[in-house]
Amino acid sequence: MPIVYLLIIIIFFNISISYVAKDIMLELLPLMIWISCLLICILNLETIFKEDYDDGTLEMFLINNDGVEFGILIKILSHWLLSNLPIVIVAPLIAMILGLDVATTLTLFLTLLIGTPTMSLIGSIAAALTISLRKNKILVSIIVLPLYVPILIFGTSAVNNSFFKINYSAELTLMSFLFFIFLLITPLACSKALKISLD
Amino acid sequence: MNNSLIEIKNVSLLRNEKSILENISFKIEKSKALNLYGLNGSGKTSLLKIIIGMTEPTSGFIENVSGDEDLFKKIIYIGHKYGIKGNLTVEENLSYALTDNFEDSQLIIKEALETYKMTKHRGMLTKNLSHGQQKKVSLMKTLITNSLLWVIDEPYSALDDESINIFNSATKKYLEKGGSLIMTSHKEIKESFFTTENYKIYS
Repeated sequence: MPIVYLLIIIIFFNISISYVAKDIMLELLPLMIWISCLLICILNLETIFKEDYDDGTLEMFLINNDGVEFGILIKILSHWLLSNLPIVIVAPLIAMILGLDVATTLTLFLTLLIGTPTMSLIGSIAAALTISLRKNKILVSIIVLPLYVPILIFGTSAVNNSFFKINYSAELTLMSFLFFIFLLITPLACSKALKISLD
Repeated sequence: MNNSLIEIKNVSLLRNEKSILENISFKIEKSKALNLYGLNGSGKTSLLKIIIGMTEPTSGFIENVSGDEDLFKKIIYIGHKYGIKGNLTVEENLSYALTDNFEDSQLIIKEALETYKMTKHRGMLTKNLSHGQQKKVSLMKTLITNSLLWVIDEPYSALDDESINIFNSATKKYLEKGGSLIMTSHKEIKESFFTTENYKIYS
């Protein structure tokens, strides 16, 4: 499903900018792919804990609280594997097909590989906070968007720098820094947020 | 030898500036069943959630007096939501609930299935079962784990007479083995297979 969305966005994008000169299009392409990946990542964030909440397994999971944090990390990992990893693999391939050079494609792949798990981690906190609301999708997106801005800035700037053959290691470092920070914070924040919203 | 598991002391709960529970104190004792009863909305479920540690009471506290530090990990809670996965079969749901690595886990599951007379449904997805059957699957979970306390929210709802009898005799066996039960219902239980203490909650 995520791949279908990505294809739709890219096809529409290419139709709409077919009047633009090819070199400008190539310059825009990686950035556009980055934005569409970010949007696709928001699409089903609220489902991370939703099913477990609805059928009551989450309650039981939290009561016998041995290793809740670890369980949450596994939950997020499985969500990332299912809904984000396909994009991380397919997006660079599409970029190559559309004529992007190899170096930039590689950067695109790397930044997505670091960026999308960070987005899943941030999103799971928002999902945990809003789980008791029936229609939490809009709220999750609103909470998450400002937090995604730094990732978007670093990701697109790394890709852009790579396109113009400028050094982009600073951006990659900062992105991995963000990833590790949220890897540490998220399990704790999530378990607390889940407990509060089940209250 | 201490005979109680958990002591509930002066528990009160406020929700939206409305008092739901007021100064409730009692003990959960070993090998005994406790029935919390009261009107709809009197706070039975809230009290159960406080006991298992999911809700924080506004005042008062829950004390573990059993001497077993891991007591709260050995509680089985079955609430209004059954906690079973619709896309797994009955058997898979049960083996997921097995907390300890028994060597004879298949046997234990088989026994539980036989007790509740669900053997022929064991390969069915639980989402295709009826409401009462789903409830039975969640009650079966109590049979397959090593627990000290069952906390069951309205065990008799959605069950037919036969299943109620099965549940009663399973509970009796469990109490004889030294387990405890705390449950809620709408009315006082006067005669039953097992001795039940009743505790009325006034709202």
